[in-house]
Amino acid sequence: MAVFTRTTKNLILKIEEFFDNIDLGLLVFREGVKAYLEKDIDAFNRHIQKVELLESTADKLQRSIENEMITHSILPQHRSEVSSLIDVLDEIIDTIKATLNEFSIEMPEIPASLNHNFISIMEASVSAGEELIPAARAYFKSPYTVREKLLKVYYFESETDKVSRNTTRIIFQEMKELDLAHKSHLRYIIHHIENISDNAQKAADLLSAMAIKIVM
Amino acid sequence: MIILFLTSGLLLGWSLGANDAANVFGSAVGSKMVSFRKAAIIASVFVILGAVIQGAGASETLGKLGAVNAIGGSFTVALAAAVTVYFMTKFGLPVSTTQAIVGAIIGWNLFTGNPTDGKALTQIVSTWVSGPVIGAVFAVLLYIILKTIKKNSSIHLVRFESYIRTGLIIVGAFGAYSLGANNIANVMGVFIPAFNLHDLDLGIFTLSSSQQLFLLGGLAIAAGILTYSNRVMEIVGSSIMELSSEAALVVVLAQAFVLFIFSSSGFSSFIERIGLPPFPMVPVSSTQVIIGSVIGIGLYKGARNINFRILGEIAAGWVVTPIISGILAFFSLFFVKNIFSIDVGVKAGNISDTGTQNIQADPRVSLIIQYLILSLLIAGIIAVLFYYFLERKKKIELRKSEEKFWRNLK
Repeated sequence: MAVFTRTTKNLILKIEEFFDNIDLGLLVFREGVKAYLEKDIDAFNRHIQKVELLESTADKLQRSIENEMITHSILPQHRSEVSSLIDVLDEIIDTIKATLNEFSIEMPEIPASLNHNFISIMEASVSAGEELIPAARAYFKSPYTVREKLLKVYYFESETDKVSRNTTRIIFQEMKELDLAHKSHLRYIIHHIENISDNAQKAADLLSAMAIKIVM
Repeated sequence: MIILFLTSGLLLGWSLGANDAANVFGSAVGSKMVSFRKAAIIASVFVILGAVIQGAGASETLGKLGAVNAIGGSFTVALAAAVTVYFMTKFGLPVSTTQAIVGAIIGWNLFTGNPTDGKALTQIVSTWVSGPVIGAVFAVLLYIILKTIKKNSSIHLVRFESYIRTGLIIVGAFGAYSLGANNIANVMGVFIPAFNLHDLDLGIFTLSSSQQLFLLGGLAIAAGILTYSNRVMEIVGSSIMELSSEAALVVVLAQAFVLFIFSSSGFSSFIERIGLPPFPMVPVSSTQVIIGSVIGIGLYKGARNINFRILGEIAAGWVVTPIISGILAFFSLFFVKNIFSIDVGVKAGNISDTGTQNIQADPRVSLIIQYLILSLLIAGIIAVLFYYFLERKKKIELRKSEEKFWRNLK
């Protein structure tokens, strides 16, 4: 019986570890972007390596969690939603890894005057992701509190949109010295950073529906 | 000859196993919390235990309604009930074995001129209504308690579900035990007055004549569970409304509780001691108690997703099942007596005059039952070992495939 085996305990630990990985990934992304903007390439490379490790661990955990839920018939009624949630969360760390790699490969030239804007976009986007993690943890322990926790995710997602729109406007309308290719490249990088909060919002929508289902 | 006469009872037991026993684990299997294989094994074992250990109480009340005093009569009465259950099930109506057997016994009473005990009949009929109502009340109370615990305890969802799963297995076992104790009267009750077997000494315990019949009935129920209840279990889980895992636990517990209170003499005397009217020991319909419990939860949750047509079908079943079964028993008894010239029983006062023959103590029957128990034990051990090794093999294969996947990925 499930109570007398370690399966339940192991699965709980794996789910928690998965959330920790996403949380750490967001933290490392924040530090990585800051290191890039400060032109500290050694620190930036260290952060890329760290993110790659976290992403690979998250993938393994994702597969292991899904396997255990199926083979031990755990959470039969919520399994598909929990799998979807883990999948969307995994997309966040995938986006983090992809974005840092974009920085590393394409080396976007960010004008010093835009550093503050880029940090604001990154902070808002990462905050959306960071606020999502407690809500995801709450789904398993106190589903009644999930929806109130998700409010902050929606707030930071809309903040990200606002700041990135302003920054794009500055790039295209005020920075006449940049050529069109450079402007497009910066917009592309902004778009990548924005993807983190977009994915967080996607996960928040899913979590919100899951929480209603479980408390009904 | 004995086995031939018992076949109708065994058939009734089989259909009870296939339909009513499915109710015990139906919500658990339907909600995918417990696998059918596990549910079927647990239900089979505990139904047999319940029947043998605690089956006497409800049988006594059924015996009061009409003591079928010839083996031919017992055979025909059980057959009429089994046929009624079969056809009602075929037409998709939530049928109760209890109602079928009560109707058939009244049919026998009418045919043989025996009076029907009005008090026993009132007791039985009143539980057809009170059973589902008590089930509904108990289910709502339990559901509220469980929801409150879940809300305030902050238990991890995975752990909570594992508690629910373990709870479903334990409560399901209790439910199966109660079902065996309560409903075995339907299957074998009519044969008790007509059978008089030797006590069977098995070393650790002794089985009386009625307990041997209950054991056979329990085995028939177990066969019904193992062979035919799979489909029914999956339907029960979702036919009335979608059940969450905790609702499934509550429904099974409510049903087990209702069946238990209507078959436990200990509980009945406890209730009497504290000054309340005692619960009659009567076979109740597990199907209807389950439906009552599910509807109770549905009403508590707002009654938007309940299939109310089923309520109408239950009410119709209260009237239609005993009537059909009674008429069928009456005419079958007529044919068995007049065409096959088999004694189907007489008016209670005339037994000695007509020389009605019961099945008397026969050491060979006891020997057959002894061997049956032994082979059952061996089969049980083999089944458990087979199940254990199958599960182990699955786990090893999965682990190997997982290791291979990650090795190749590197």
